[in-house]
Amino acid sequence: MIQIQDVSFEYEKEQGTLSHIDLNIYQGECVVLTGESGCGKTTVTKLINGLIPHFVEGGTLSGRAIVNGMEVPKTEMYRLAEQVGSVFQNPKSQFFNIDSDSEITFGLENAGVEPKKIKERYEATVSALKIQSLLGRNIFSMSGGEKQSLAFASVYAMNPSVFVLDEPTANLDADAIDTLRQQIIQIKKEGRTVVIAEHRLYFLMDLIDRAIFIQKGKIVQIFSGNEFRSLSDEQRIRMGLRGLVHPVMELPPADLPGAQEGLSVENLSCAFDKQPVFSGLGFSAKRGEVLGIVGHNGAGKTTMTRCLCGLLKEVNGTVRLDGQTLKAKQRNKASFCVMQDVNHQLFSDSVWNECELAQPDCPPERIEEILRSFYLLDFKDRHPMALSGGQKQRLAVATAILSNKDVLVFDEPTSGLDYHRMLEVSNMIRKLNDENKVIIIVSHDFEFLGRTCDKIFDMEGCSIERR
Amino acid sequence: MNGAGKKHTLRFDPRTELLLLVLANIVAFTQHSVWVEITWVIFLLLLIVACGCQKSAGKLAIAFGICLALQYYVFPNGPEILASSFTIIVSYARKIFPCLIVGTMVLQKTPVRELMVALRKWHIPQGLIIPLSVTVRYFPALKEETGYIRDAMKLRNIHGVQKIECLLVPTMISATTTAEELSAAAVTRGIENPAPKTSMIEMKFGVQDFLCLAVGVVFCIISITVG
Amino acid sequence: MSEVSTDKKLKGKDLITIGIFSAIYFVINFAFMLLGGIHPVLWMLMPGFIAVFAGIPFMLMVAKVQKLGAVFLMGLITALIYFATGQFTLVILISMASTCILAEVVRAVTKYNSFKGNSIAYVIFSMGMVGSPLPIWLFKADFLAQITEQGMPADYVAAVEALSSNAMLIVLFVAPIIGGIIGAFIARGLFKKHFVKAGIV
Repeated sequence: MIQIQDVSFEYEKEQGTLSHIDLNIYQGECVVLTGESGCGKTTVTKLINGLIPHFVEGGTLSGRAIVNGMEVPKTEMYRLAEQVGSVFQNPKSQFFNIDSDSEITFGLENAGVEPKKIKERYEATVSALKIQSLLGRNIFSMSGGEKQSLAFASVYAMNPSVFVLDEPTANLDADAIDTLRQQIIQIKKEGRTVVIAEHRLYFLMDLIDRAIFIQKGKIVQIFSGNEFRSLSDEQRIRMGLRGLVHPVMELPPADLPGAQEGLSVENLSCAFDKQPVFSGLGFSAKRGEVLGIVGHNGAGKTTMTRCLCGLLKEVNGTVRLDGQTLKAKQRNKASFCVMQDVNHQLFSDSVWNECELAQPDCPPERIEEILRSFYLLDFKDRHPMALSGGQKQRLAVATAILSNKDVLVFDEPTSGLDYHRMLEVSNMIRKLNDENKVIIIVSHDFEFLGRTCDKIFDMEGCSIERR
Repeated sequence: MNGAGKKHTLRFDPRTELLLLVLANIVAFTQHSVWVEITWVIFLLLLIVACGCQKSAGKLAIAFGICLALQYYVFPNGPEILASSFTIIVSYARKIFPCLIVGTMVLQKTPVRELMVALRKWHIPQGLIIPLSVTVRYFPALKEETGYIRDAMKLRNIHGVQKIECLLVPTMISATTTAEELSAAAVTRGIENPAPKTSMIEMKFGVQDFLCLAVGVVFCIISITVG
Repeated sequence: MSEVSTDKKLKGKDLITIGIFSAIYFVINFAFMLLGGIHPVLWMLMPGFIAVFAGIPFMLMVAKVQKLGAVFLMGLITALIYFATGQFTLVILISMASTCILAEVVRAVTKYNSFKGNSIAYVIFSMGMVGSPLPIWLFKADFLAQITEQGMPADYVAAVEALSSNAMLIVLFVAPIIGGIIGAFIARGLFKKHFVKAGIV
């Protein structure tokens, strides 16, 4: 049982606080902590797995947090780890090892469990979670969903009675979310306690026992499972949550290749590491329209994006812009990709300088104009890395506009965003239409695609299965 | 590095491989006779071929042959500039060749996991094993990250000296974030547990390990005494 | 500088931070090592070249892990990887270990927090890589005997002797000192321009 008694916590740097949180979670419950980004739901999970206070630097904590009889601030993290397992949101940085088998047994090895028992737990984990396909593999060759699945298995192997999941679906596509759902069903069946901090909840609706709505660090409302399931759409929008039903998207298909205006991709084939990824790909994307690209993981969306931006040479086929064929180098000059992790593409030491870097001879008035339209003018002296996620994304788009790129590709722009942030991105992209660019969005966020795109292209038809 | 390859190839305990490295070092320091040297190199090359590194063994054999040829035929008879520039390096390469051969075997055939367990068995403190395994685990991640950053630089048309700064800064920031996230994931799985860590892997010396080490020791003795 | 925990022992987070920055250090180190293979003079200057760029991961790490042992581990890990892949001899383990210990002493004395202290530590640390070309001098007699017996002409032997002379030995040791000082200042520049503003130190 988890008892949080009148806990208040303040981070040292401005990140947000918790005020007088009172919460009891009973063994076997599946409880969702939900609310907008920054509301404090992640902070509450840290109270349970001990990251507060043992891991966080500084900060002031008051009140008591007790998990299965252990006072969290007074218990060593490795003791807590035996009872509380944590799964985080970034699949790329959760694994300690290079091979999957070591990763599964990692927690058991740390605890000094005897080899025979490790083997037993290993096999029990594999069969309970059905992860045979993940065994004996190099983790770096796994997809994001597989990595997250492995992270879950690694925690499961330790046999904790409490599972804490911090926005686990932030970087996952629909298939991977489904796998996670199955895993949660399994541990719920086994009577474990599940605490999930999330704003994307459609896959959990029938599993929720209680939902705790948190706003600005305070618990505003606690819903029973049934109450939560009968929330109206208006209510959930006010709470800042993503759609509570499985998202569906109905949009007209993309135009056929051959358009004389805008982008035309004709019979494109690409390979990666000498393996063919897709072939015979073709579509047109007009200027002033937003085209969405969908396809399951492994279908080749990333490869295609890189090819369109000239980062990868095509094996076959042509790419034309306004009727003119563009070779890889020319595509490089004409296009820009706003990457999934925007931190990879901001280089300068201030927002202003970043813009100057993008277009060295640009008159300051133009930079001002662009920054103002992206709500970044007030931050012009801030270091790009000190901006919020949404601001960084807008800055990256600003650099693309300033460098007069004609084709803008967005790669998973809404990973992990709550409802309102997702709307902001959607509105920004629709506004971009006025700039008369070719806009392509690669995403598996159907809710977002539905309200942002004009047409959809599905990669399923052209991808070449590699496994 | 995968755990497969148990077909017809020889597999050594990783501790044997590390010990062999030490032996190779000793021989490198003490040997004087070319014939001892060549026999030792041939023995090691055959060893790694038996472990499945045929291609690398071939390349190394050719490289060694080139070193010998350069030192005995080309340098004495060729232009002086060639010799004076490269003789030191060729000489050094020749000396550490046995180490390189064993090193190739370690790199290609030994999963990192097994090396770490080997170190644990030798009671090397966790304070060293943990950062060492993180370092090795971060190499492919670093490659991935710098790949993305370089892609981004191409899209932004960044040239010249600026490239260095633009590559380094995001890499460092990404490393800091990864350190933060990886630590959280490791600490919540008990990495700070002071109890001695165990493993599902069983590690035992086999006949091939003893034989191999015995031959290595013999070579050491020969090289120290006779040269 | 951010708040540092008062616990002096290296904890899980510290060890992982050390591991990650050591990886970056190793990659920079290795890149220059490959360059060193082109010509022996380059090889001898290599510790100096490395020192110019490797200051950045080093300084970041010592800013984040203000405890005893961080530098020693970074050096030891580098030396061990080189050793285990058969590229260097035991000499590098010795040279790295000894310079790292000295560097740690400097850090401890300057309370881990001063730019001057960390820079001096860095310069000493950079000298650890001299263990790579050092065997040339250590086995000079051996080597000269070997090439004489191979039948090399006397003036050629003299030329080789010049390259592995005591003068070059001094260059070997001085290069990383100069490189280290430059590297420390480059790192400081980047700190001021980026890392502090970005909030990661």
